[in-house]
Amino acid sequence: MLEIKDLHVNVHGKEILKGLSLKVPPGEVHAIMGPNGAGKSTTSYTLAGRAGYEVTSGEIGFHGEDVTALSPEERAARGIFLAFQYPMEIPGVTSMNFLKTAMNSQAKLRGEPELDAAQFLRRVRAAAKELNISEEMLKRPLNVGFSGGEKKRNETLQMALLKPRLAILDEMDSGLDIDAMKLVAEGVNKLRAPDRSFLVITHYQRLLDYITPDVIHILSDGKIVLSGDKSLALQLEEKGYDAVINKAA
Amino acid sequence: MAKMVSLDNLLANAAVRRAEATPWLGALIGEATEKFAHVGLPNRRNEAWRYSDLSKALHEATRSESEQGAAPTLAGACVAAFENGVLDESQSTYGAMGARSLRQVLAENASPFASIIGRVNGQPDHPIINLNTALMEEGLVLRVPADVTLATPLHLRFNWRGGEPRSEDGRHLRILVVLEDGARATLFESHDGAPGFATVVTEVRLAAAAKLTHIRLENFTDAARQTAATLGEIGEKALYRGFYFSQGGHFARHEALLKLAGEEAHVGVDAAYMVADRRHCDNTTIIEHASPNTTSNQVFRGVLAGSARGVYQGCVKVAKGAQKTDARQLSRAMLLSHKAEIITKPELEIFADDVKCSHGATAGELDASALFFLRARGIPEAEARAMLVEAFLVEAMDAVESEAMRGLVANCARLWMRRHAGEASHVE
Repeated sequence: MLEIKDLHVNVHGKEILKGLSLKVPPGEVHAIMGPNGAGKSTTSYTLAGRAGYEVTSGEIGFHGEDVTALSPEERAARGIFLAFQYPMEIPGVTSMNFLKTAMNSQAKLRGEPELDAAQFLRRVRAAAKELNISEEMLKRPLNVGFSGGEKKRNETLQMALLKPRLAILDEMDSGLDIDAMKLVAEGVNKLRAPDRSFLVITHYQRLLDYITPDVIHILSDGKIVLSGDKSLALQLEEKGYDAVINKAA
Repeated sequence: MAKMVSLDNLLANAAVRRAEATPWLGALIGEATEKFAHVGLPNRRNEAWRYSDLSKALHEATRSESEQGAAPTLAGACVAAFENGVLDESQSTYGAMGARSLRQVLAENASPFASIIGRVNGQPDHPIINLNTALMEEGLVLRVPADVTLATPLHLRFNWRGGEPRSEDGRHLRILVVLEDGARATLFESHDGAPGFATVVTEVRLAAAAKLTHIRLENFTDAARQTAATLGEIGEKALYRGFYFSQGGHFARHEALLKLAGEEAHVGVDAAYMVADRRHCDNTTIIEHASPNTTSNQVFRGVLAGSARGVYQGCVKVAKGAQKTDARQLSRAMLLSHKAEIITKPELEIFADDVKCSHGATAGELDASALFFLRARGIPEAEARAMLVEAFLVEAMDAVESEAMRGLVANCARLWMRRHAGEASHVE
């Protein structure tokens, strides 16, 4: 499980997270909502270990281990997965080659045996079918020329294959129409499991109509200012961030 | 340390060569020597050599730290093997396709090639081509008759072994390939090791509807000093497809001087260079559209690491009357280190008014967001970097049609990445 304690993070020398604390037990889905500039993307990048997101104090506990000093690949191998708001297009690397490299790299870092070609293909085909991703798409360079929905489905496919213990969904719904969002949410819901936690980062509550959170946290100015059940999202929708945050303060 | 190459020695040697030569060759040498004496070895005061000072490079001590692998072998190819600049008959099979050694051709009083050698897309003021003409001894001559397709490639294997007795005059090699109407051939040049000082001039003359595929694979070690030129004349409806791969050297330069001489001629060049440490790699092109309705497309992609220096000079000339020319040029460079350098100089000289000419140049670093994305999926940094470098070059590599040759190029790229971009690679 994830336990963030009093996390302070600087980006370009400016403090963005100012004492973030958060606990996500196994199997639960937590949402972080907040206005623009609250530190939502900083939270997701910091958890995934992106360079330039400097942890000045506090810790990120993951299954009893502080991961703040670990590289992105080490965190990934321990089961932290970030679904990107804007998945990268990588010309020259096919989705298939990328998936195989990622799965085998993680296996290697964990000291597990690598998959053989047949096992790999079987798994990818099965997972891709569930998400309505064609073989032809898998042979194309990663995300190149994909629509917003296809990119997010591709992220979901990666999540399904990499089987993380914590999935951070950063603005999973941005750039998606309702149908595409439903398809992605369905994919995510299928991955809910007792040993897997989710951290859903979103500005709007609409995604939470499809991925139902156990707990909602409101992030404002680098801190969690309010936590509650899913009714909090409805309050936000109704009254807006300012009113809810001011009331909390 | 190599001895200095001196102009006096070069000229004296050329004079001896001329005195011993057959009359036609003597005249050619005389002309070239005179021109060469006038300019001397090019240095940065010559505009075309401003970023690649050959004279200076020849006076510098060279380091030899990198290991030399075996020269590549291409299954099924006819081979002309040059060991330290000398044609080695025992390793060669070029006779099977009707090629002849340059030495033999030069010794003939009335050679059918006398009117061609040194005249393909003539560059009367080019110092290195003149030097090469004045001192050429070793090389190969190939003529492919009309409508003949050579089923196997000709592999020109230049291999410079350690301990080469460094001649003060360097080694000057000349290749001549003549394709008659409708003939087709594939030329594969590989350059390995470390020449002390070599010039290699490849002349290719393509008659109407001929097609030449020309692959150059430079796989030098650190100490190599070579300047090479491909001179081409592309006839009506003829096609020149070039692919150049280079890793630079102490001084490594290749010039593609190609003239589209007949209507509907086409030149396509794809190039990839990967340069590390303190190496120097220069790619210079002058594509001359001399006839209407001719097309050219060149794409150069470079990856530079360490304190390497890359130079790309691309000149497109469109002659008066060469209407409907379509010329494209693109240079893309990826700098893996803050000390690496790329110099790009595009030039257009257009004397016709109904033409399409485009050029573009980019230089950038490895995309930090893409790198993070790959690492966040569990791919270690070195491997992720190698993947992105390869992704950047893959389009250029894909231009090599022959699987066997693409394999040889990919192998060089893979070794380079293992050393300089990461521990693993993803050439599929």
